[in-house]
Amino acid sequence: MHGKSHYWLVAPSAAIFCALFIAPVAFFVVLSFWRVEYFELSTEPTLANYRDVFAGYWHVMGFTVLLATSTALLTTLLGFTFSFLARFRAGTWAQLLLFIVMITLFGGYLMKIYAWKTILGNEGVLNSALIAAGIISGPITSLLYSPQAVVVTLMHFSLPFAVLPIYASMRGIADSEVEAARDLGAGRWPILSTVIVPRCQSGIVAAFSFVFLMVAGDYVTPLLVGGKLTMIGNLIAPQFGAQFNWPLGAAMSIVMLAAAVVVIYLFRLLIALWSRQ
Amino acid sequence: MGSSTVKPGLALTRRHFTHGVAVTAAVGAVGLPPTPARADSAVSFLGWQGYDDPVAFDDFLKSKGITLNTTYIGNNDEIVAKLRSGGIGQIDIVTPYMGYIPLLVKLDLIQEIDVSRVPNLEQVMPIFRNDPNIVVDGKLYGVPFTWGGGPMVYDPAVFATPPAAWKDLLKPEFTGKVGMMDDPLGNMMIGALVATGTATPTRINAAQLEQTIDFLIEMKKQSRVVAASWGDLSDAIARGDVAITFNGWETMVKFCADKGKEVKYTYPAERTHAWLDNYCIAKDAPNLDAAYELCNRVISVEAQKRLAEQALQAIVNSDAVAALPEDIRSLYPYDEIADYGKKASFFGFPPTEPEDDLTTFSDWLKAYERFKAA
Repeated sequence: MHGKSHYWLVAPSAAIFCALFIAPVAFFVVLSFWRVEYFELSTEPTLANYRDVFAGYWHVMGFTVLLATSTALLTTLLGFTFSFLARFRAGTWAQLLLFIVMITLFGGYLMKIYAWKTILGNEGVLNSALIAAGIISGPITSLLYSPQAVVVTLMHFSLPFAVLPIYASMRGIADSEVEAARDLGAGRWPILSTVIVPRCQSGIVAAFSFVFLMVAGDYVTPLLVGGKLTMIGNLIAPQFGAQFNWPLGAAMSIVMLAAAVVVIYLFRLLIALWSRQ
Repeated sequence: MGSSTVKPGLALTRRHFTHGVAVTAAVGAVGLPPTPARADSAVSFLGWQGYDDPVAFDDFLKSKGITLNTTYIGNNDEIVAKLRSGGIGQIDIVTPYMGYIPLLVKLDLIQEIDVSRVPNLEQVMPIFRNDPNIVVDGKLYGVPFTWGGGPMVYDPAVFATPPAAWKDLLKPEFTGKVGMMDDPLGNMMIGALVATGTATPTRINAAQLEQTIDFLIEMKKQSRVVAASWGDLSDAIARGDVAITFNGWETMVKFCADKGKEVKYTYPAERTHAWLDNYCIAKDAPNLDAAYELCNRVISVEAQKRLAEQALQAIVNSDAVAALPEDIRSLYPYDEIADYGKKASFFGFPPTEPEDDLTTFSDWLKAYERFKAA
């Protein structure tokens, strides 16, 4: 096929993308300039919601971005290490390692959260084991209901989403490429940094993006293992329920979406710069 | 539970759902209009999940030729929203908490209850039947059927004697041992009682609202967790992660006992909030006779026992209370019910529209965000 006719082939997927992504986001953008006063929606355009977001929620938003970035970096690093071992070190065990990663997807999101509550609590598995071993005399209370509990739980949940794209990229690296580098005198680190990482760029960026977006939008994990911790999702969700303030919720979502785009772009830039070295 | 804007959930819901899932499901459910009646006696019910069970658990509906089309709500606001957006003439029964009833009457969304058609009201304890929130201009607008309060729940193994007052929880010995519940209205009512000394915590001005939020933020600093549901708060105290609560629910005693933990509750000196949920008949209800059958049934001995024994809710029918097994009856202070008002009050709702210098419900929700974000 030549000319413009082949564009029609993507029309169905483009239509679905527009209907399920572009249109809702566009609606949110419009909504974010409206206002709710005493439970009545006013369509008079205003920037008041954005003013409220930056005046009242910037610190929660900043904390969310920080926590999501940290979690995404740690998970991507762990996912990269796991993928590297599966691809280059595990030999015939690689399939088993991947199977183990895949099987954790079937555990269910809430089950993982409650499992970590059981592990990290005052009378949880970890504290009980440490006390029984005589390492500590009383429970470490900071394990549960803390930012680190949220990070650990979300890493557990999101690790498969980091492993799969990175491993898929690594499968594209031929053994001969690594051997060629080694023949040319490259050590382990140069091979890793100048051959493997640049060849896995897309997988690493995809892994980071998946994890970052999942964590930045999550509000159940902080509710259940975060204690007093509030992420922006905990403030956005009630706007569409009890608070009945969709415009403010939309404005918060749009600002968070913009922040996510910036963070992912910067990460992508960082990886690209690394690869050009 | 009525006092919350977002209902913390029935026992069944509280114990088995997370806040997020429950709210998401509820919000999803209310996005759909109530199923239209398919027969003369197909009653449209708009209320909390589980509040239909006492009238639906046995063959009562079948014997009366009634079918129930239920739509569950995620918060009380949805009752107002549904009735105002085409629900009148379609919906028969709604289950608001007592604070919403004056507003529903003012908006002409519910109708007066003809007490002669609800004979079981005779068995309802006067403190509930005569609650000033449900009697507007001398007319009854709701059939109260379940209630509860917000006591301080504590672990007697850690604190043999509980503190006398809510404000005592700010003392150093409680640091890191307090568990809070993410219950906006309940927290703010207790906060206003303590921080401002007002007798009517839902009628406060902007300065008092600031004081209330400042107090709640102090309490948050003192706390280890702000739980998503009563089930989670019970979990936290049963696992030893916290030892005492700011705000609570009498039924937590049972939740914790099920997990092998003995906890007790007390009503602190500053008092606390209480809530009372009702069956109300919507204006122009298309199945009026069947609606009255349900209103009468929900306060019958059988339905009330079911509510108390299965959902662990507090009940209003004195004959049903007398018939409860001791472990269920002891969950709530039925024996001292006449004095209940000295410990907990069925406070009205904050104004929904500007009124003198009083803060509105919108102001409250916005102010609560400051507590959440702190």
